[in-house]
Amino acid sequence: MHLASFIARRLLQLIPTLLFILIMVFALVRLLPGDPASAMLGDRALDADVARINKELGLDQPIVVQFVVFAKSVATGALGNSITLKVPVAELIATRLPITIVLTLMAALIAVLLAVPLAFVAATRRGRMADSAVRGAFQVGLSMPVFYLGLILLTVFGAQLRWFPVGGYGDGFLDHLHHLFLPALTLALSLSAVLMRNLRAAIIEVIDAEYVQFARAKGLPPGLILLRHVLRNALISTVALFGLSIGTLLSGAVITETVFAIPGAGRLMIDSIYARDYPVVQGLTIALAVLVSLTFLLTDLVQAWLDPRVAR
Amino acid sequence: MQARTALPLTLIIGGGILLASMIIGLFPTLFAPYDPNVFDYNALLQAPTLAHPMGTDNFGRDVLSRVIHAYTVDMQIAIFATVVPFIAGTIIGALVGYAGGWAEALFGRVVDAVITFPFLVLVIAIVSVLGPGLVNMYIAVGIVGWVFYARIIATEIKVQKRLDYAAAGRAMGYTHLRIIFRHLLPNAITPAIVYWMTDMALAILLGSSLGYLGLGAQPPTAEWGVQIADGKNFMATAWWISVFPGLAIVVTGLGFSLTGDGLAEVLRTKR
Amino acid sequence: MKFLSIAAFTSALILGGHSAVSAQERGGVMTYGRYTDCLFLDPVLNDANVDIWILTNIYETLINPTDDGLGLEPGLATEWALSDAGDVVTLKLREGVKFSDGTAMTDDDVVWSLNRAKSPDNGIWNFMLASVDTVTATAPGTIELKLKYPDPTILSALSVFNSAIMPKATFEASAGATDAEKAQEFAKKPIGTGPFMLDSWDRGASMKLLKNPNYWDNGADGQPLPYLDGLTFEIIPDDATRILKLQSGDIDGAEFIPFARVAELKADANIKMELFPGTRVWDIIINVRPELGGNPNPLSDEKVRQAMNYAANKEALVQVVTFGVGTPLSSFMSTTTPMHSGDGPLFPYDLEKAKALMAESGFPDGFKTSILTIAGNQDDLGITTALQQMWAAIGIELEIKQVDNASRTEQYRAGTFDMRTGGWTNDIADASQITSYFAYSPTIDALHSGWKNAEVDELFEASQKEMDVAKRTAQFARIQEIFNVSGPTIALYETPYPVALGSKVNGFVQIPLGNNIFRETWLAK
Repeated sequence: MHLASFIARRLLQLIPTLLFILIMVFALVRLLPGDPASAMLGDRALDADVARINKELGLDQPIVVQFVVFAKSVATGALGNSITLKVPVAELIATRLPITIVLTLMAALIAVLLAVPLAFVAATRRGRMADSAVRGAFQVGLSMPVFYLGLILLTVFGAQLRWFPVGGYGDGFLDHLHHLFLPALTLALSLSAVLMRNLRAAIIEVIDAEYVQFARAKGLPPGLILLRHVLRNALISTVALFGLSIGTLLSGAVITETVFAIPGAGRLMIDSIYARDYPVVQGLTIALAVLVSLTFLLTDLVQAWLDPRVAR
Repeated sequence: MQARTALPLTLIIGGGILLASMIIGLFPTLFAPYDPNVFDYNALLQAPTLAHPMGTDNFGRDVLSRVIHAYTVDMQIAIFATVVPFIAGTIIGALVGYAGGWAEALFGRVVDAVITFPFLVLVIAIVSVLGPGLVNMYIAVGIVGWVFYARIIATEIKVQKRLDYAAAGRAMGYTHLRIIFRHLLPNAITPAIVYWMTDMALAILLGSSLGYLGLGAQPPTAEWGVQIADGKNFMATAWWISVFPGLAIVVTGLGFSLTGDGLAEVLRTKR
Repeated sequence: MKFLSIAAFTSALILGGHSAVSAQERGGVMTYGRYTDCLFLDPVLNDANVDIWILTNIYETLINPTDDGLGLEPGLATEWALSDAGDVVTLKLREGVKFSDGTAMTDDDVVWSLNRAKSPDNGIWNFMLASVDTVTATAPGTIELKLKYPDPTILSALSVFNSAIMPKATFEASAGATDAEKAQEFAKKPIGTGPFMLDSWDRGASMKLLKNPNYWDNGADGQPLPYLDGLTFEIIPDDATRILKLQSGDIDGAEFIPFARVAELKADANIKMELFPGTRVWDIIINVRPELGGNPNPLSDEKVRQAMNYAANKEALVQVVTFGVGTPLSSFMSTTTPMHSGDGPLFPYDLEKAKALMAESGFPDGFKTSILTIAGNQDDLGITTALQQMWAAIGIELEIKQVDNASRTEQYRAGTFDMRTGGWTNDIADASQITSYFAYSPTIDALHSGWKNAEVDELFEASQKEMDVAKRTAQFARIQEIFNVSGPTIALYETPYPVALGSKVNGFVQIPLGNNIFRETWLAK
């Protein structure tokens, strides 16, 4: 197949998207009320100090000049220096974004492992006890705010049972994974509830469809029918939803990261927004844009594999 | 396939819950025993009693009355934050999925941009320009939310349009719009409806997350999510402040999801 | 000129201070849970309490504030004297002080550090040393500060973090062309004379400090301080998680305990719930400009403000917002501030008086107004939700606007807000800093409120040059009297710093200025 050219085309399309986001984020952070100097210096700042620091930061320059400086910093990959933390933005992103990526991947994995089998159970036993139980449990999971769910998990599995650390990020790869499990589970529960419901409905739809009835009439073994026809077709819209959810998770796991004291990109983002740390917000947004776009590319490829008609 | 006349049980139960919620939401004063916003310094943090069946919060406000009054706000959130994204997303998704080609490529880039753009920057920007409050939350949610419906529908439409009946429609000389909205969409819309019903529960939860950050419903408005956020410091000492609004979210969410399943079933049998 | 020889007195204080109750034990690493991370470890160029309250463990000043925040004790200087005219300070440096890298602290380091701190180009704290004209080493180990004018606050100013002593040579050798660039490099691996030194810093997650092996002071057992081998700050932004981590024994201490949970933790046998006296005051700042957005501003009416003051039930606020931890204010400054005056709560709750004042005011039918609060801040939310109810009783409809801090600061500085919640902690053990910001209009327009009182401005200027303590106290008393009655604030309450410690932790103190002092902290085995 022309897979390579498909990927190449998509990567090319990434360039205008990034340009658009570049301009949007540059404009929007400057539209936010306040400026880095007064955000940093706080309520007590004197006018002279605010003016002096904004000048040091180059924020007294015309907006076009500022944009050129920003565009250059993106082009070189350095992304400038953080205003509040005084370190290169690229360095900050390199330490904090991987944490969020691992967290998101773990959450996605847990969500799929929970949602797919249970959706099958629920769909094939439609209207019966198992179906009601699965859906009821997920409904409770879906109804709990993450800060609440997170605290309950921390109290039970962290402080009381001591199976997992009570928040934090730990040292070393395995320790990181150990620390990230509960937050990943927290994120996964609401995600899996969404996926499960969607998949359950899709499976029911497919089971009732003519081609499955036909395959059944032909006497194919039910397991094969489920795998080859039902799952494949039912997964299509769920994969689309999954891709989008992963995208929002990458850029928005702020509260989970806060509750579990994980120094990820979500917290870096919100701290930087509150501090009006323009270079960090800009740099992080660009990095996330690349990441999310790649995620969408991946889900599109999976969709195409599941159903070549989608990709044409 | 035999057309069923009876409504599915899920739809009856789900619809019943939603109807009851609507009635409570429209006439909260009929049901609430107290003014939801009045302090009672003599009844701070009281556990559930006959006088206060769901206890009182740290200001001595009656939790039951606040849960009841919150129906007004939360039903609004569930509906207003999702209806526009649902309709807009469905239409855009159907058109994009049917057209394919450059329209789809462009749409893909828009989705990238919308999903990538930090939601919190957007919310804070909107809040600081228009002031905090629920309407601005609807705007922020709407800007992002339609993408989900559009992407779900577009994917389904792409599958449907290659099926025989779509080709038959074209052969009959129907207009594209008629094929999309009369023939393809009814077959493609189920996942979007199912997602919509989940999305309504998610919208209430988002209200809670924004409440945690102080960007959702503004005080003294009673809203379940904000109530849960307010009760966070009292999880160990006064669980009732957050648990009862949480239960209200569960029950209402159940109403939405049962309705969604029921609707899906009705749509399927009609076909 | 006479030396105030208080060294003997204070060394007794140090040795016999708060930690002398039981025999100190050495060793161990203490982990302290903070709600947010440090930003920038430079004493002169930092901006925020998150740095200030930690810096003293790494860098030290010539003079230290005492643990009660009211007095001074020797730091890197053993003795000091102020000339009778009040315009020359002479300090004797402590002998044998070394930086954490082992190099000796020189007179040159001291002169350079003070010159850097007072330079108007550096940071936002240089005003504290605005009176200093020249800094010279007149003899080995003797530093002389010539002042432009007599300055009653200069000794206190020398105890403030920004006049900490840094190693000149190492700083100057740091990469970078300007002072700011060098500071960025230096602050990554800061070197000071403090009891601890930075080992590693994983931003947003944890900061590890190690004991400074070259520290100059000895503990009660005659061995060098600090008692701890190391000190680790873990960043745990969520209050509930921070407490849970303490309860599960993962950390040894946690700052900023929500008031709602103080009683619960006091009852926990495994936790020492400490309430360290603070200079933290809570108030409502009111914009008193006669017009706002082209409309007449009801808040400019003094009677209206007094009515609002009487209608605001501070006792009730202390109960529902601080759960009894706070105390209603008796002046705009905290009782822990030197020269605080006033006894008994300001404007005790009196709804009838409030209604009467409203009736006499230009707005007998009430009005609609708004208050800016920090989004998601539970204390702010509690205060304003309660005030909304209390002021409804006198016909004032209050809209609560939750915004992020930077948005609020923007409106605050522009003077376009109606009201906002306010908070303050002193950085210096003197009444002048808070008075300058709150009441003296040239600084920041009296909290950007637009309030101006000629007598207050005059008294404040006089107080800044008044060397006679009694006269100066009288000046501040009069300023407080005027401001408390007619000023642009609703003074609510003052609170201590709620810190929860594990049962093994001893000898930790947070002084009223907020500084966390780990110098003599030790862990029981």
